[in-house]
Amino acid sequence: MSTLDTKIHNKYEGIPGDDLGTAYKGVALEKSGAKGSVGLWEVRTEERPYAFLRDVEAKETNTYGQKIDLLDLTDHQLPEGRSMYINENPAVGENPNRNKQHGFFFTADNCIGCHACEAACSEKNENPAHLAFRSVGYVEGGSYPDYKRMNISMACNHCDDPVCLKGCPTRAYTKHVEYGAVLQDPETCFGCGYCTWVCPYNAPQLDPIKGQVSKCNMCVDRLEEGLKPACVSACVGNALDFGVIEDIPENREQAKCSIPGFPSPEITHPNIRFQQTRSMPEEMTRTDSMPVKYHRDEEGNYQPVVDRNKKLDQKKGKAKHWNLTRLSSRENPLVLFTLSAQTAIGAYGLAFLGAEMGIDSLLRFQASVMYVPLMMLCFGLVGFGLFMSTMHLGKPHRFYRGFNNLRHSPVCREGLGIAVFMGALGLHIVFSLPDNRLFTTVFGAGLGSFGATAAFFGYLAIPAGLIGLYYMNRCYRIKARPFWNHWQVAASFFGNMLSLGAFIGGLVIAITLALSGEEYLSVVVVAGSILVSGMAVEAIGLFFHNRAMNRESHEGAASHYIQCTTFGKTYYLRNCLLGLNLIVASSLLLTGVDSVLVLLAWCLIGLTQLLSSTIGRALFYVLVIPTTMPGAFFWKNKGFEAHARDIGLADMPQVGVVPDGH
Amino acid sequence: MLFGRKKRKPISIPQKQVTEWKYSTCNYCSTGCSIELGLNDKGKVITSRGHAGADVNRGKLCIKGLLEHELFNSSGRGTQPLMRERFHEAFVPASWDKALDHTADKIKEIQNQYGRDSFAVVSTGQLLTEEFYTLGKLVRGCIGTNNYDGNTTLCMASAVSGYKRSFGSDGPPGCYDDFEHTDCLMAFGSNLPEQHPIIYWRLKEAREKRSFPLIVVDPRVTMLAQFADIHLPITPGTDCVLINAMMHVIFKEGLEDRTYLEAHTHGLAELEELINDYDPITAQHICGIDEDTIRHVARLYANAGAAMSIWTMGINQSTHGSDGVSNINNLNLVTGNIGKPGGTSLSITGQCNAMGTREWSSCSGLPGYRLLENPQHRQEVADYWGIDQAFFPEKRGLAETDIFPAIETGQIKGLWLVATNPMTSMPNTSRIRKTLEKLEFLVVQDSYQDVETNQYAHVYFPASVWAEKEGCHTNTERRVNLTRNALPPYAESKSDFWIFNQLAKRFENGHVISFPETAEEAFNEMRELSKGDGRILDISGMTYDKLEEAKGIQWPFREGQMGLKGHSRLYTDGQFQTPDGKANLICVDFVDNNERPDEHYPFWMNSGRVVEHFHTRTRTGKIGNCNKFSPTPYMEMNPDAAEALGIEHQSYIRLASRRGDAVVMVQLTQRVPRDMVFIPFHFHDCVNRLTLGLLDPYSRQPAFKQCAVRVEPVDQLEAARLNAERRAF
Repeated sequence: MSTLDTKIHNKYEGIPGDDLGTAYKGVALEKSGAKGSVGLWEVRTEERPYAFLRDVEAKETNTYGQKIDLLDLTDHQLPEGRSMYINENPAVGENPNRNKQHGFFFTADNCIGCHACEAACSEKNENPAHLAFRSVGYVEGGSYPDYKRMNISMACNHCDDPVCLKGCPTRAYTKHVEYGAVLQDPETCFGCGYCTWVCPYNAPQLDPIKGQVSKCNMCVDRLEEGLKPACVSACVGNALDFGVIEDIPENREQAKCSIPGFPSPEITHPNIRFQQTRSMPEEMTRTDSMPVKYHRDEEGNYQPVVDRNKKLDQKKGKAKHWNLTRLSSRENPLVLFTLSAQTAIGAYGLAFLGAEMGIDSLLRFQASVMYVPLMMLCFGLVGFGLFMSTMHLGKPHRFYRGFNNLRHSPVCREGLGIAVFMGALGLHIVFSLPDNRLFTTVFGAGLGSFGATAAFFGYLAIPAGLIGLYYMNRCYRIKARPFWNHWQVAASFFGNMLSLGAFIGGLVIAITLALSGEEYLSVVVVAGSILVSGMAVEAIGLFFHNRAMNRESHEGAASHYIQCTTFGKTYYLRNCLLGLNLIVASSLLLTGVDSVLVLLAWCLIGLTQLLSSTIGRALFYVLVIPTTMPGAFFWKNKGFEAHARDIGLADMPQVGVVPDGH
Repeated sequence: MLFGRKKRKPISIPQKQVTEWKYSTCNYCSTGCSIELGLNDKGKVITSRGHAGADVNRGKLCIKGLLEHELFNSSGRGTQPLMRERFHEAFVPASWDKALDHTADKIKEIQNQYGRDSFAVVSTGQLLTEEFYTLGKLVRGCIGTNNYDGNTTLCMASAVSGYKRSFGSDGPPGCYDDFEHTDCLMAFGSNLPEQHPIIYWRLKEAREKRSFPLIVVDPRVTMLAQFADIHLPITPGTDCVLINAMMHVIFKEGLEDRTYLEAHTHGLAELEELINDYDPITAQHICGIDEDTIRHVARLYANAGAAMSIWTMGINQSTHGSDGVSNINNLNLVTGNIGKPGGTSLSITGQCNAMGTREWSSCSGLPGYRLLENPQHRQEVADYWGIDQAFFPEKRGLAETDIFPAIETGQIKGLWLVATNPMTSMPNTSRIRKTLEKLEFLVVQDSYQDVETNQYAHVYFPASVWAEKEGCHTNTERRVNLTRNALPPYAESKSDFWIFNQLAKRFENGHVISFPETAEEAFNEMRELSKGDGRILDISGMTYDKLEEAKGIQWPFREGQMGLKGHSRLYTDGQFQTPDGKANLICVDFVDNNERPDEHYPFWMNSGRVVEHFHTRTRTGKIGNCNKFSPTPYMEMNPDAAEALGIEHQSYIRLASRRGDAVVMVQLTQRVPRDMVFIPFHFHDCVNRLTLGLLDPYSRQPAFKQCAVRVEPVDQLEAARLNAERRAF
């Protein structure tokens, strides 16, 4: 569990209503017509009790031991009665529990899966068919007629520890002391989608058309009027309720933190409580394409299943396929970004550090005319990578916002590390130029030598690059994405840095030396050793990852099942290439054969390693199965979405699937 | 960081800039929910909300109602009248005058050449009651064909027929308030959470206040079945065996209300004799419910202080639908559960105004539950309309399901379809396709130009929809409710009311009979016609303003009646609409005429509704936030059966029946038994390519839910292509 940071930076000043004058509030009040209304949302005439928030005696702390009174929690650094300025309206609601953490209460026993909550939400928030702040999926089990289906309606859980807020590089998220609402501003968001990765509940919604994220706003406008959120008010099964967290509604007797299909509440401490008293079969399956099913453990909780013999819910059978076209995804730019950045850092490190360490052949290379071009190639590679990563954003022109949350977001730190690396590398190039023979031939040697400055920036680039890579790795260590949350990510990233960097760097260096008639075999040995060690690191990571995924009991195992079936042949090709390369490259190093054929063999090894890394990285992105809520047969079913795109159904907007853009 | 930012982030939530709320009643199902439409300062409908003050829905709406205001501008709406000589030619836009003139001429030409009844009219349950009444005037009073029916034959005809046979009149005797009083509720083939979510909510509210047994009879484990205290997974088509066996137990154990039976019913001796043959031991092998459970349920029902039954298509859409309804009525008469709070036989109706068409459209008779077969009724209506009573036929003509075969064999040459889509909704699509090809003249009047039946139309009338018009609906519990006109008709479309009025002007009697300009004036005519001693369908006390103020009033509501509350229940005094005021106990013997699964076609084919769609998807198929929950058809199949055939979840299969084939995506679930598959009926070119639709002998309603199919493998790519091609929306 991560610790809570209750420090407040916000000293957002101003007395509510001061800056907008009283006229606005007056007009708003008059328009709503409802008694006691503050003009943020019009209360229906003859509104029923079910729609109003209950006034309750709140508990002191929640199940996780955190204070429910948010002013208390934050040491009263923010005033009571602060305006939220919803739609710039300074009105303040009169709810006495306004500063208590609120949350949804879901009686799973009662949900009929009628979609009224989803429809009410989409209508109120004017969401198009392909977006939903709230979705209903289900798990089912039993045998006819002893069949049980449990519907689960899920939106944002306005968590105690909002990982979305921490992950967001742009600081688009705010957790408010009013109701504890976690709100996100789409106009700040630049559409990286990282919050959609880290959220275990699939609450933030990335709109591929608008290129930005939006999410459940807890209907704070309704809350300010004393009304429950629209979805709750619309519930027809008496399943969904809302109030101060831990308050058990009338006629309900439980406030559990989990139900079958719900991801572990330990990740974020979600503010949702459940009642689920009806007994369910010991095994519950999902109807969507995710090969995950759930099994009741000794304590009565449902865990994703891994059965050694009949692994998971084998929706895809056991046959192995290539599915090469499916390797291409929305994350393609990230495949290119990570690989090229890793290659650049590796190649740069080989050339710069090798020379600094006094390795003869690399010193000779540093003195050669090709040193600066290799640095430029690295610069180009990392620049290309950053460009690709920017183009991956929904709103690339807002890229500069990517450093706004250095305090918490690994995405920011990754970006900053790589950007500093690139900057230092650039300056290293600039200050290396006066020592470059080609440069001096053209521009003369009048500038003098800046070797020390070049070395300074050269040394600066090394930690920057490594820190960048470290946080690149941290970006993927997401609890809600168990397939990624393994040290294999670091092994793969650093392994690729070594192997691909050694291949590109070694290739340029060896060719340069060879063409200038100098001794080059020692470089081949150095680069070859690094290449082999990089491949070895990656292979070890993969081996342990494979072993872990085979033994684990979470969605990562399901990803691994897809890896071994849907992409089975592709996966084995990658593994064979890597294994074969390791054997051949090690033999070459050990035998120390010296011929032109060896150079060709190394080239071949390098190229196949590039291919194997690219396949591996693409698999890494397409395979991940988040810990999201179960979907339905069509809605929130990845399998159907892919199918609808394939057969053209997605071209009709009312199908609710956005056609492929990548 | 957690609580706030140095710089405040804006909180933007869509605001509904509503300047006026217009009162309306939902135009989808028959629950009768009150909706307020929110208009902005430009008169555009921008949002809607349930009316919290309405007794029916108390502010709640289902997914369809919540999004209903989006349909006004949805794709596929008809923009102008269209005409063509032959159905395989392209449509040409026409003026309303030209289209109406041509239509009137063609109707007269066909009638002159082949006889008055050679032109048929099939209407709907979707129009407003004033429109139904006007259409009835036009068809019965001006055009004069006797082959006039509504598509309610596909959904409610069995309930109508069963009610008439038992109680002497149509009209559900109960109401939603009965949930608050009942001690036992038995649901036959009715899945409220999916089909009538708001009625389900009323039931749920009652059950949260006070627990009472819920018994659900359904071969599928629906959500309601899952929530039931007792679920009876019955063998399809055997409900009358179950009910007879229950009555057998009740009589054997002396649990019947003999005083009530003797005072208020006919046919007790015959019924007792019949049910002698239905002992639970024999019955269990037919209906699939074990004898202990039959006895238990029978005792539970009979011993309850008040017990009620509800049913929907599981009863109505079968070969003995009318019998099934009568038998449910028998059960309630035998246990003394008619006309008392919590004790009733409540048919849960399908379409928003199925009741309105039953009451006022003259489809199966004359306005106000009057019968063509009754000379006095003919005289009353002829006098009121100012025409010769001899103009009316003395007997009801063909039902919708008999009109199509009559087209097929050439007795009927012309057809006018009003807001109905037989190309998707009728059983055996290929036969309907062949039938429609034979028409010399087909008029399709619909809000949607892309309604599949339009493929065969010669003239297309674009009709306006819902609150583009004004008028009433009657809901399941006999509540008349108002829809105010909220916005003008879409493009060049016109209200159905206007279209009927304009067409009437083109017939001789159209100048004799009064066709008022406004719906409210038509409503006032209906009020006049509803008056009469002992008439239950009396709306004479209602006015538009009262309806809006009360958010709906249940009939009977007689002129001079004080307050705004009608009658919640019928037959509270034990007086029925039969000549001597006694209800009829109808003997229902089990006849097994269904196409049952066999070695060639080993699966029962069942069909039904999903909550996000309405009927043939012409409306909900275009509203993304409805349609996305099932944008393409699917079939529920038992995983054990699938495994034996090597069929995978979410793959395509081909289904074949003795009528045709269909391609559909498989959803494996234990919700259905091993020998049954289930497909939602909403999709064009899907389940009704397979259905047989044997007709009920009384109601002429087709048995959509019982036929036999087999499952064949299919090339996945080819199937996917077909599936996509068959989804125009």
